[in-house]
Amino acid sequence: MTARDRENGLPFVLPAVILLAFLTIYPVLYVLYLSLQRRLLIFGISRFCGLENYIFLLGDGRFWNALKNTVYFTTFSVSLELLLGLSIALLLNRDFAAKGLVRAVVLVPWAIPTVVSARMWEWIYNTDFGILNTLLGQKINWLGSPDWAMHAAIAMDVWKTTPFVVILLLAGLQVIPRDLYRAARVDGAGRWQTFRKITLPLLKPVILVVLIFRTLDAFRIFDAVYVLTGGGPANTTETLSIYAYKVLFQTLQFGYGSALAVVVFLCVGAISVVYVRILSRGVKL
Amino acid sequence: MRGNRLFPAVKAYLHVPCNVRLHDRVVALLVVFFIALLGCTQPSTMENGSTVVFKHGKIAGDPAHLRALLDEFERRNPGIRVKDEALPASTDEQHQFYVINLEGKSADFDVLSMDVIWVPEFARAGWLRDLSHLLPPEARDEFFPGPVEADCYAGRMYAVPWYIDAGLLYYRSDLLLRHGLKVPRTWPALVAAAQHVMEREPGIYGFIWQGRQYEGLVCNVLEVARSNGGEVLKDGRCVIDSRQNAEALRFMRDLIARYGVTPPLVTTAIEETTRHIFGSGRALFMRNWPYAWNLFQREGSAVRGRIGVAPLPSFPGRPSASTLGGWQLGVNRHSNHAEAAEKLVAFLTSPDTQKRLALTIGYKPTRKSLYADADLRREQPFIAGLYDIFMHAGPRPVTPYYMMITQVMQSEFSAAVSGIRPAAEALLSARRQIDHILEAER
Repeated sequence: MTARDRENGLPFVLPAVILLAFLTIYPVLYVLYLSLQRRLLIFGISRFCGLENYIFLLGDGRFWNALKNTVYFTTFSVSLELLLGLSIALLLNRDFAAKGLVRAVVLVPWAIPTVVSARMWEWIYNTDFGILNTLLGQKINWLGSPDWAMHAAIAMDVWKTTPFVVILLLAGLQVIPRDLYRAARVDGAGRWQTFRKITLPLLKPVILVVLIFRTLDAFRIFDAVYVLTGGGPANTTETLSIYAYKVLFQTLQFGYGSALAVVVFLCVGAISVVYVRILSRGVKL
Repeated sequence: MRGNRLFPAVKAYLHVPCNVRLHDRVVALLVVFFIALLGCTQPSTMENGSTVVFKHGKIAGDPAHLRALLDEFERRNPGIRVKDEALPASTDEQHQFYVINLEGKSADFDVLSMDVIWVPEFARAGWLRDLSHLLPPEARDEFFPGPVEADCYAGRMYAVPWYIDAGLLYYRSDLLLRHGLKVPRTWPALVAAAQHVMEREPGIYGFIWQGRQYEGLVCNVLEVARSNGGEVLKDGRCVIDSRQNAEALRFMRDLIARYGVTPPLVTTAIEETTRHIFGSGRALFMRNWPYAWNLFQREGSAVRGRIGVAPLPSFPGRPSASTLGGWQLGVNRHSNHAEAAEKLVAFLTSPDTQKRLALTIGYKPTRKSLYADADLRREQPFIAGLYDIFMHAGPRPVTPYYMMITQVMQSEFSAAVSGIRPAAEALLSARRQIDHILEAER
């Protein structure tokens, strides 16, 4: 790209830049500004309070609990989705009859709206009438016991988003030239070796993209868990987004709620930076 | 007037020379339509008076019944039109809708229906019109005391009670009869009856209630706590960690863990969860709101004719204490049609309207006198029998801080009920957090 190209390009991208600034940068700055305010709607209180909200946040047990839940949820759901997704993608990458049909069917959980699938899982987990307990012949209180609820939410998320991982990885697999596999076979490489030395390295950029998408999504998880458990029992499934929502829209503490939102934003930003660092090191997109 | 506006445009269209392309003719025609539309819409609001927009939750039953009443209001008040708009079914979403729009000083709606717990909050925020003149002190006595207390903030009335709800004990009359048991009046008697029946009727749950971490849990716990003399706020101070409350909350955990009469599944249950279980004949006792009655008595229901309702039990020597529910009508402070809106509120809460809503949709009247009404007693004997329960139903803490306080109560009650923390510890933690909230304004 020459310097002239750059100059000429500016007027073309300007409308997009202005639109983006209006739609994303302004709200982000406004939330930052709100987070430095003590703002309680119902009392008409609205004054600058510096970092008071953030200091309160450091000592807020419910915040740390939500952060812990969020990290736990993200770690386990994303790892499981990646493992399962990779296995399924490898299977689907083979040649077999009705390949197209199977690939389409795999997408179904991803295609169902989140709230609908959360309601569906609520019934699956139902202690009394749920199909899961019927199959197991048990009376496990999946969503109501502190030990199970988070894992039940993770299982639902894995079911829902693994298809997304599968499709991305499958696309990545199909780009790998077949010749490489043939060459490997000629060299006498076994299946495991082929996977380790050819598939995995060539798939790495796609895996990283999948990880970025999924980690950021999982870290901001709201709707699925909110519908499934409402954050209960006793906040054991309350994630940062659910806590921020409750503070913002149910108790109307806009200042503190914004501070929570800023923290989510910072965490997400930090995660992105780490991933992008890894991406740019040695791997080209 | 409409003709005058239209003519120049029509003339303009007719005078378009014939050699003009079709495209231009279409444009000219659209212009004519647009002007005609202006002619139609503008005068209708000016000539026919005001349009009152009425926001309410989903109507339990056929919405046509409500519309019929609104049509009658329009007939009686020429010049006022009513547009009724239903909000999303979840009360959380309704609350969010109101907060966002009222804070934004929206005048898009005039009359709003509010959950009983929102009125002090909305009033404190200055979003509601003072309706004290609609309800002078002598008129307040015509309503049940609970909703009047809940609609009053700083001595002024900000809403008028529309319909009322309260927690009830549903029981299986056939099972009690078979085992020679009476309807329990106290909690220990309920536990004993449940254990007795559970031993002899395999597959039956003793007592089910709503224990999920949500507003319903607070309603359930406060009923048990108040039936032990417990309170949350007293003279503006938080007394949630009292001995009475601790006993009550521990009792609720014991129902699950010690007496075994309540299945652990209640920690995820909402009203409908428990209604399905009780409705399929699998529980002896259930705590629920009055709405479930008509559903149980429907054709094809497994428990039809085999159930009864009673006031909730209490601890020995104390009165029963239902939690008050129900909806209130208020007027948006920024409404442009306040007078018409007030007329609509008065109409919807009038004895006649409440009676018709009770007969058609089953909404329980907030006016005491209707419970002696001959038609209502004949058509809806169930509603008529609820008088005493509504008389003693207590509102949840009436404070503008309620939505914040309930967040604390929901999580701490949930912790105690699901056995994460002992009751006393959960309540102490709740008191510390509520104290912090109450300091917000100081």
